Amino acid sequence: MTLLSSLALLLLVALSSLTSATSDYHESLILQPLPQSSLLASFNFRSNESQESFDERHFRYFPRALGQILRHANTKELHLRFTTGRWDAESWGPRPWNGTKEGSTGVELWAWIDAVDDEAAFAKWITLTQSLSGLFCASLNFIDSTRTTRPVASFELMGDHPASSNLHLLHGTLPGEVVCTENLTPFLKLLPCKGKAGVASLLDGHKLFDASWQSMSVDVSPVCPHLGECSVQIDQTVDIVLDIDRSKRPRDNPIPRPVPAEQLVCDTSKPYHSDDTCYPLESTAEKYWSLTDIFGRTISGSCPLAEGPFHEDPVCLRVPHDRQVDVAPGAVETKKPDGFTRCFTLQPSTPFDLTIPEQETTSQVPLDEPVLRAERTIVGHGQERGGMRIIFDNPSDTNPVDFIYFETLPWFLRPYVHTLQATITGNDGLRRQVPASEFIKESFYKPAIDRERGTQLELALSVPAASAVTLTYDFEKAILRYTEYPPDANRGFNVAPAVIKLGSHDAANGPNHPIYIRTTSLLLQLPTPDFSMPYNVIILTSTVIALAFGSIFNLLVRRFVTADEASALRAQTVKGRLSGKLVAIRDKIKGKRAKTE
Amino acid sequence: MGVDRRKAAVFGGALALRLLLLVLFPSLPDLLTGRVEVSTPVTSFKRLQEGLFLYTRNVSPYDGGVFHQAPLLLPFFSLLPNPQLFPLPTAVFYSLIDLVNANALVTISDSGQAVSGRFYSALRKHIRWDGVSIAAWFLFNPFTVATCLGRSTGVFTTTGILYAFASATTGNSLNAMLALGFASYLSIYPALLLIPLVLLCHDRQVQGAKATPEIGLFALRHFAIFAMSIVGLLGISTVLIGDFYTLVSATYGFQLLVPDLTPNVGLWWYFFIEIFDSFREFFLGVFWLHLAAYMGGLTVRLRRQPLFVLTSLLGVFAIFKPYPSISDASLYFALLPLYRHLFPLMRYTFFAISALLYATLLGPAFYHLWIYAGSGNANFFYAITLVWSLGLSILLADTVFAALRDEWEHDNPEKRGKEAKQV
Repeated sequence: MTLLSSLALLLLVALSSLTSATSDYHESLILQPLPQSSLLASFNFRSNESQESFDERHFRYFPRALGQILRHANTKELHLRFTTGRWDAESWGPRPWNGTKEGSTGVELWAWIDAVDDEAAFAKWITLTQSLSGLFCASLNFIDSTRTTRPVASFELMGDHPASSNLHLLHGTLPGEVVCTENLTPFLKLLPCKGKAGVASLLDGHKLFDASWQSMSVDVSPVCPHLGECSVQIDQTVDIVLDIDRSKRPRDNPIPRPVPAEQLVCDTSKPYHSDDTCYPLESTAEKYWSLTDIFGRTISGSCPLAEGPFHEDPVCLRVPHDRQVDVAPGAVETKKPDGFTRCFTLQPSTPFDLTIPEQETTSQVPLDEPVLRAERTIVGHGQERGGMRIIFDNPSDTNPVDFIYFETLPWFLRPYVHTLQATITGNDGLRRQVPASEFIKESFYKPAIDRERGTQLELALSVPAASAVTLTYDFEKAILRYTEYPPDANRGFNVAPAVIKLGSHDAANGPNHPIYIRTTSLLLQLPTPDFSMPYNVIILTSTVIALAFGSIFNLLVRRFVTADEASALRAQTVKGRLSGKLVAIRDKIKGKRAKTE
Repeated sequence: MGVDRRKAAVFGGALALRLLLLVLFPSLPDLLTGRVEVSTPVTSFKRLQEGLFLYTRNVSPYDGGVFHQAPLLLPFFSLLPNPQLFPLPTAVFYSLIDLVNANALVTISDSGQAVSGRFYSALRKHIRWDGVSIAAWFLFNPFTVATCLGRSTGVFTTTGILYAFASATTGNSLNAMLALGFASYLSIYPALLLIPLVLLCHDRQVQGAKATPEIGLFALRHFAIFAMSIVGLLGISTVLIGDFYTLVSATYGFQLLVPDLTPNVGLWWYFFIEIFDSFREFFLGVFWLHLAAYMGGLTVRLRRQPLFVLTSLLGVFAIFKPYPSISDASLYFALLPLYRHLFPLMRYTFFAISALLYATLLGPAFYHLWIYAGSGNANFFYAITLVWSLGLSILLADTVFAALRDEWEHDNPEKRGKEAKQV
């Protein structure tokens, strides 16, 4: 086995020297304990393929399956996200990667497609979603025209593109998609080591999708670090926030049990404290955990493809330097000068584990204050109409925040933009009604068309320092045809989260990377018809119509006669004659009987 | 002069009632605007506001799924102050529209066309109400008041229809065609009134003038005027909005194809929610054909009473058009007292009125149970709309019966008062 792998390695080294020096592969894992006994694990996998090899369909680190799809769909830049759960910004601080690797709840996809016009771009977009749907085992093929938008200001190209290309940005979300192991398996297959070695060997579907929050991303973009030397880069990340206590539960016995009485630490100062009454004290010590406890397995050695002379250490841990960390033998620890980061090397084919014992600590890794807090909720009651309320909270005491707010709404949610209102709550806590134009610097609004496209709203907003701005607008809920409801119609419909973009690649401000924040997805209750009785409705409505039509046309086509004339007329008809005969026969029989008596 | 004073009192009272309701209950207009019985997708004032908002910001209001009303309403309503901040001017304007409608009703009633026309004069023509009573009946009808306060744009169609009738009964056939063109431009269905209205104009012309105009040429000329008025209005709209195709598909296409299934008092919405997809187009055609069928039948059978045909057709529209509201019913109820002389011949008035009252009272309650309380389902409200439609159609059939019976007695004076049957 080792012989085979070393042979493959030799072959690869030979190949890489033949093609281009830019082709390489990096992977890293950053572990950071978060407040409330959570642990953030950020996996990152990055590989390159030179543009020439990509065009010649020569793939080494870049996954062939994805490369072929991108070529087929003329896609120059691709961003795909699978996300579940909610990032708790109040406790956990700013998002990993500044939110750039995060997606809306469910699946989010945006891509720049090279096409001559909008229609051709949309056709290629459908090709792309269908192919990705197959590749990632996700319902991406349900991204149709009603779920596709063309954002104007919310997304920017990440890569370097030739100025001649005619790129179209398309964006789609599936807020109701449940991300699970069937999406992780194809994701891992894109990696050169397929999750068998390197940090990716930690990724186990049971633990990953048991997390409080997780986000998987795939980004493909062309990069040109040097002039004329371009490569296609694929950047895959997995970010998860695991609850340490929850993850440490054994898989065969996952039910949490109370702490045994003798292990309880009680608050003896309470007046009711006795042998059988205890007020448990929170443990001040940092918890004990290890990779095996949290992920259920160890890192099975380094990925041989990720090694190189300039390669940084793949596993990093962000805890204060005075914290004790035990690692498996053979791993080399490097402490970084920032005082909080230490990194470890991995050995090939040697399992790596990392154990942090329980320890009383005083120092903590400081968390930055988020630049903006955003919250979006549906207000109102009843299934007929409602309102949207979006709160932007700027915690900074000095700086106003400028950002782009982007939301897409399904067509059956009909917003009334003329009801858009803004209130501002300042330091004093007083709410004041102000014209919305005071905060909205620019707006782009594309209203929905029934069954054709959704609403797209993009606002350039500015929130003053130390204040919270609340935007509200009314909407109406459409009632659908009964075949358009999902089987669980009374659960409601998912509304995609709003995307907030702060800052930009502004040439004047230097490399000012954007920060993305996404709100939670919403659940919209629609009025529902009775699904059990289409036949009854068709029959009852038809009956009422037939009654009206019948009675009116009956009056119109018949003529009036007096009652006497009516009986005379009846005698002339076939029916009248028949009944007359019958009466006559009856009379005859009766008459005979009368005679015999 | 005494009549004028009565008329002034009725009109003043109606205006005062509307403004008083607005002042006493400031939230009433917004509440009524949101009611499905008052506002339909094609007459909703809130949707008009949204269209206006987009229009004043140079976004095409028809490039979206909310606004489906005629384009000429937009520049007109942009002249009125924002109704959210200043509700009074809009309310006064709508109240004045109601008074204008009532005035048209007085004209129709005073012309006497309802009781005696070119071919026919009712036997019981002494049993009738005067114009002011009919106007009062219209102005103080709760349905009319609710429509007015709910600011439904259906009242403009009502104005067009009533003015067409008023002009036709006073012999001004050019104005009649222009008014009907305006009504048809606003909401497509009044075009079905064209043939009986041309007949009414023709009868009135023959009654007034010595020379009898040739009917074919007369009809052709009036149809041309009607078509020209619609083309002219559409031309102005195209100049205003720009994209003719989007405009027509968002307004008339929307009214014809019924894509928005928001509940209303009619029969279409629940039927087209529940119908199987493969039959949708077929039943859409059947429903429209059914609506149009009454026009032919009534016009032919009741040729001698064209104004009665028009009244009955308004009743048919109030039941069977795609997006009916109580404003359509109030228009039918406004014209019914013109036929006060038929009331003694009607057979099921008690049943019809009971059904209508039952539906009026239980409709909002059942809607609440379905949408807000969650303790009922859609069938509750659907059942009430069935009762409402049934009540209206019984009333309609009964008036048709009474009119036919009246004609029969007129033709056979010796059989008056005898028991009659239809064979």
